[in-house]
This record gives sequence, structure tokens and C-alpha cells, in this order.
Amino acid sequence: MTKNIKYGLILLSICAVSAFALALTNSITAPVIQHYEFEQRQLALTAVSNGYAIGSEKPVEADPYVTYTIDLTDDGQLAGYIVGLKSAGYGGQMTLVASYKVSGEMMFAQLLTHSETPGLGAKAAETSYMEKFQGTGDDTPVPTDKTMLTDAEAQAVSGASITFGAVSRAIEAGSTYVKNLGGVK
Amino acid sequence: MSKMKELSKGLFKDNPIFVLMLGLCPVLGVSTQVSNAIGMSAGVMFVLLFSNMIISALRKIIPASIHIPAYIVVIASLVSFIQMVMHAYVPSVYNALGVYLPLIVVNCIILGRAEAFASKNTVVDSMLDAIGMSIGFALGLTLIALIRELFGSGTITLFPMGNFSGVINIPWFYDNPIRVFSLAPGALLIMGFLKAFFDWNSSRKKDK
Repeated sequence: MTKNIKYGLILLSICAVSAFALALTNSITAPVIQHYEFEQRQLALTAVSNGYAIGSEKPVEADPYVTYTIDLTDDGQLAGYIVGLKSAGYGGQMTLVASYKVSGEMMFAQLLTHSETPGLGAKAAETSYMEKFQGTGDDTPVPTDKTMLTDAEAQAVSGASITFGAVSRAIEAGSTYVKNLGGVK
Repeated sequence: MSKMKELSKGLFKDNPIFVLMLGLCPVLGVSTQVSNAIGMSAGVMFVLLFSNMIISALRKIIPASIHIPAYIVVIASLVSFIQMVMHAYVPSVYNALGVYLPLIVVNCIILGRAEAFASKNTVVDSMLDAIGMSIGFALGLTLIALIRELFGSGTITLFPMGNFSGVINIPWFYDNPIRVFSLAPGALLIMGFLKAFFDWNSSRKKDK
């Protein structure tokens, strides 16, 4: 009994010291991480905005893919939307932003956060990865299957089919959402 | 064993990847690019060094019956620490390592060296063991990554600095990549050939 209490206290002490050290580290790094993520998000929004003015964020609830939308305006006229998207990749949830014309045609997209496998699924974070989706969503359907890609594009996503499926489904869902917003007059 | 031998045994004689066959999952997983290998090696080096130091210092305090949970708490805390620091100050490496960074917790090298060495030796010897093993791990991992990336993509990816994008395109290999080397079977093939080379080399030395 005494031995068990002693063992428990030793483990408790190790855990307490570890927790204190981690809490201290977290208090130092959390603001830096928050600032970095805010900067990255702003850079991503600017990168996908296609030069249009970026409006304020409107949260979207109860949609499996769309988390928020932002109006894009050109001289006060609605020119499109930036859509915040989430999807389930190979390594868990991934978030991305994509911009669409009011017709639902995708302009630009960028991966924000992910836990995909380095060298395989993580290639989705590269700028060139999203090029295969540009111009799709209106007249041209969003490629959601590798058979809808060119040989070179299919080869680029080989070994990471789940990531490709997650990204393409999110982009397709964003396009559908934008079409349903009724921006096309 | 002399201090020098303690330090150098991890490089070739007891190389953690090719001889002890420890920590192979992250080796096969992250060795698609040289930059990933360098980042992973740095993470393992930090965690191994400090876990060996702490566990060696506490070896007379931690009873044998609770040593595994105690070691896991120490190792997991160090990994969480390096994860937070990398996320804050080297986010590119943090993003590149992805899921493999938290998985250092279950890297066999860390727990293996804690159990086999640090729990029975002095702090100084444990530090030397950690440094030698980490360098051996880094050399092995970087070698596999270099071969895989060169043949599989025709590039060598380092870290971007100033005007340097971080990616070096290697003529001929870049235009004629052998994609299988970038994929999981390529990792196993390279691993197998290098293991065979190390075995052949050590048996050759024994015969002499």
C-alpha cells in the first residue's frame, strides 16, 4: 500500500513538472503561433482574392464543407466569393480557402492547415496543386476523380488519392454553395 | 567503453536504422525529401538528447515497476515542447514534418535508448550515446531521403533562404524521374538495399 502511494507520488511529481514546463512553453509560443496563423490566413485571402476588395467574414453553420464566406467586390459590385472550406484528408481535417466567381467557377484556392503525409498528400499545399481546379465549377465540372485529370495531373496526385478526393470534394462543395447563394442574375 | 566509442558506436557499428532497425516508420514516411529528413533528425536529436539526460538523472528515483509510464511522460513532454517551439519559430519545418513530429513519441529509438542505455548509465555517457545515435539516425535518414528524392523527383529539397527557393533541380534526373522511389515501395527498396550493404560491410570486417 505504502509502496503504491510512493509510486503514485513519483509519477504525479514527474507529471506535475512536465505539465508546468509545457504550460510555460505554451504561454510563450501560443501568441506567436496565433499571430503566424492570422498572417498566413490574411496572405491566403489576399492570394486567392484575384485583386478584388475583400469583405467581412460571414460564418456558415450546418454545412459539411463550407465554414464561412467572404464577398469579393469590384467597384462596389459583387464579383465573387471567398469560401472557407474544411474536408477530411488522410491525416485528419484540412482547411482551405477558395475564391469563386458568382457563377461558381473557381478562381484560386490555397490549403491553410493539414496533417497530410509529407511528400505525398502534403503536396496539396503547393501552389501548382490547385491549378488543376482553376476554371472548373461552372461549365467544366470540378475533377473529383483521377480519370477526369490529364496523365501528368493524375501522376502528380498518385500516392495521395485520399487527399485529392478531400480537396476536390471541398472545392466542388464550395462551387455548389456559391451557385446556391444566387449571385448569378 | 571509452567516451569516444560511446559517441561513435551509433554512427556505423550500432547504427539505429541499418543495424538496430529502430524508428523505421518515420524513416520510411518522411524520407521523401531531404528537408524533411533534416527536420525530423533535428527533432529526434533534441528529444533523444534531453530524454536520455533526464532519464539518466532520474534513474535512481524512478522504480522499475513504473519506469515505462515515467519515461513516456518525459518523452511525450519533450515532443510536445519541440512541437510548440517548431510551430512558433520554424513553421515551415513544422508543416513539412506534419504528423511525424508528434509521432516521435512512439519512435522506438527514443524509448529503446532510454530503456537500454540511459536507465543504466551516467548522464554524460547517456548524452554521448544520444548524440552518437542521433547523428547515426540523421545520416541514415538523410541518405535514404537523398537517394529517394534524387531518383524519384530529380530534386534535392533544402530550406528556402533569401532568393534561394530551397529546391535544387538535378539535370537528367529531373527530366527522367523514377516515381516509384517517391512512393512507399521505393522507401522499402532503398531501405532493403542499404541494409544489405551494411550487413555485407560488417560481415566483411568480421572475416578480416
